[in-house]
Amino acid sequence: MRLMAVVIKELIQLKRDPRSLVMIAMIPLIVMLLFGVGYGGGMGKISVAVVNLDKESLSWTVLDSIMKTPSVYVKAYANSIEEGRELVKNGIVSAAVVIPEGFTTELMRGASTQVLVIVDESITTISSTIRNAMLAVTYKFQQELVRSVQGSSVELIYSSVYGPKVTNLEAFTPLVIGIVLQLVPTSLISIAICKEKERGTFEQLIMSPISRFDIIFGKLLAFFIATIADMLITLMVAVWIFDVSMRGPLIDAMIISTLFLLGSLGLGMLISVLSKNQLQANQAAIFIFIPALLFSGALMPIEMLSPSARILANLTPMYYFVSAFRDIMIKGFGLWQITWQMFALLVYMALMMVSAPLVLRLRVD
Amino acid sequence: MEYAIEISGLTKKFGNFVAVDNLDLRVKVGEIFGFLGPNGAGKTTTIRMMCGLMRQTKGSIKIYGYSIPEERNELIKITGYMAQRFSLYEDLSVYENMEFFGKLYGLNGKNLENRILELLEFLDLKDVRRRLAGRLSGGMKQRLALGVALIHRPKLLVLDEPTAGVDPPIRRAFWEYLRGLNKEGTTILVTTHYMDEAENCDRIGLMNRGRLIAEGTPKELKRRVFGGDIVEVVLHGYVQEGTLEGVANLKELAYRDGDTVLRVVLKDASRELPALLRRIDGMGLKIISAEPINVTLEEVFIELVTGRIEKVAL
Repeated sequence: MRLMAVVIKELIQLKRDPRSLVMIAMIPLIVMLLFGVGYGGGMGKISVAVVNLDKESLSWTVLDSIMKTPSVYVKAYANSIEEGRELVKNGIVSAAVVIPEGFTTELMRGASTQVLVIVDESITTISSTIRNAMLAVTYKFQQELVRSVQGSSVELIYSSVYGPKVTNLEAFTPLVIGIVLQLVPTSLISIAICKEKERGTFEQLIMSPISRFDIIFGKLLAFFIATIADMLITLMVAVWIFDVSMRGPLIDAMIISTLFLLGSLGLGMLISVLSKNQLQANQAAIFIFIPALLFSGALMPIEMLSPSARILANLTPMYYFVSAFRDIMIKGFGLWQITWQMFALLVYMALMMVSAPLVLRLRVD
Repeated sequence: MEYAIEISGLTKKFGNFVAVDNLDLRVKVGEIFGFLGPNGAGKTTTIRMMCGLMRQTKGSIKIYGYSIPEERNELIKITGYMAQRFSLYEDLSVYENMEFFGKLYGLNGKNLENRILELLEFLDLKDVRRRLAGRLSGGMKQRLALGVALIHRPKLLVLDEPTAGVDPPIRRAFWEYLRGLNKEGTTILVTTHYMDEAENCDRIGLMNRGRLIAEGTPKELKRRVFGGDIVEVVLHGYVQEGTLEGVANLKELAYRDGDTVLRVVLKDASRELPALLRRIDGMGLKIISAEPINVTLEEVFIELVTGRIEKVAL
């Protein structure tokens, strides 16, 4: 019953600490809502400039289909290649599309011609969006051209699995939930032991017949009870406020989230046992979060990472959580279909739970 | 069991710094033993090693027969501990703090409640039982810490500077509590750097730079340092120094308002003073007054650490 004494004591202390309460309740809400506002609205458009040196009929058709492309909009017109390049260089537009002189004439003659696209490569997402948009424009233009001369052509037809459409919001929901479930519990509990050491209460505590397991698991249980709220808040906001469709069973998503939450608490506890003071613990919690984010597979799919980076990703618990959660939410999988991720998360949790009490020494030095 | 604490050859090194140097110490069951010395003398380090909070570099520690650190679990059951710094939870109330530690000692239900109420009564904390520990005055904090240390009725109470930074009247009241506990049979080890407090102890050990430089009852220590009790005798008129040669062991001679003031060292004042006075009287000198001087432990300590120690065979 010593364990329960620790649990009750920790919960009373949490209840009286405004900083912790804000962290438990407000941070997940704020992160989720910011994310919803940021990713939930319609897509923005990327600006381009058009340099039409042809000014004949077919060039207007191209221009028309650029204007109809949802991801770009024409912000400026220029009269020469140099002028178009300057607009891109000065950051006024992200790309300039140059339709050369004699564009229509050449095509009418049955010859090939070119359209020059000057792209700002400094932001890769923007440049690849422009490439994709221009490919689509050219593809559509060619389809129409071929149809008008009664030639034969190949048309692409897409059919989706797990579709029909996954919104940006849905695509990033697993990552954001992962961020909340790692950052909040880890940094919250990371001060649990070193705060006692810093304030001197540890010395009194270990002069009583308490074991390291009572200390560690009492605190873990108390913080688990408190941070269950984070798991519920993030899931509820996602499902009810963002209206992301949870295709798999909600209970499975909760089980996976709970596993990951427990791992985060164990990690925070380990940090706390190893840290000398609260500042150090906080910094460690945040520092550990950075690789978790980078190798989560959510910013960049790990299939696209280098082999060495892939090994790191395979060692990142966040990667397993994000992929398991995505499988449940978007693919509609149940737990029995994600046993590998489950297993990895279980191992992570178990390791974290065991190491903290092994490292803790009941001494003051 | 005769000894509550038996320490021999205890040494603690931090790198090259020797914090505790080959310390030998014995404290009898039922004693109040005072550990005296300036800050940094090694008192806290010694206490922490005794409680298994810190590993000794060398030496053996036995508390009620239990070897430390090996049998620390047994030690904890019979020891109440009060750290130098207030080390209870400031965000828990007086009652909650006692309740928490009580539960850790395996108390519960009515037993626990009764014990807490008893201690709140004894330590006069009943009215502030719901107050957060962080909002208590220094004296109340100190009493609460004592209460937590007593929750499991320990045989041995270890108090590290319990009265540091507390006003003198509160310090005195605190010692009343300690004496009360001692009467009921609790062995007490207490450190302090207030020399006046040490007069309350049955025996004291003076510590300086990691070493125990003297040990004994307050009276013994004073006698040993000065070679006995000091008595001040005032004689009428001007008496020359050589006059009293062979009559008394003269420590000091001074003149005040035309009278002569002697400070004489006697092995045991209560037995030897009358004979001394008769000898002086027999010389035809007129005695105005004679009284034993109350030497403070502070003087003893200064005497010891300023190197005049060689004069006295300890």
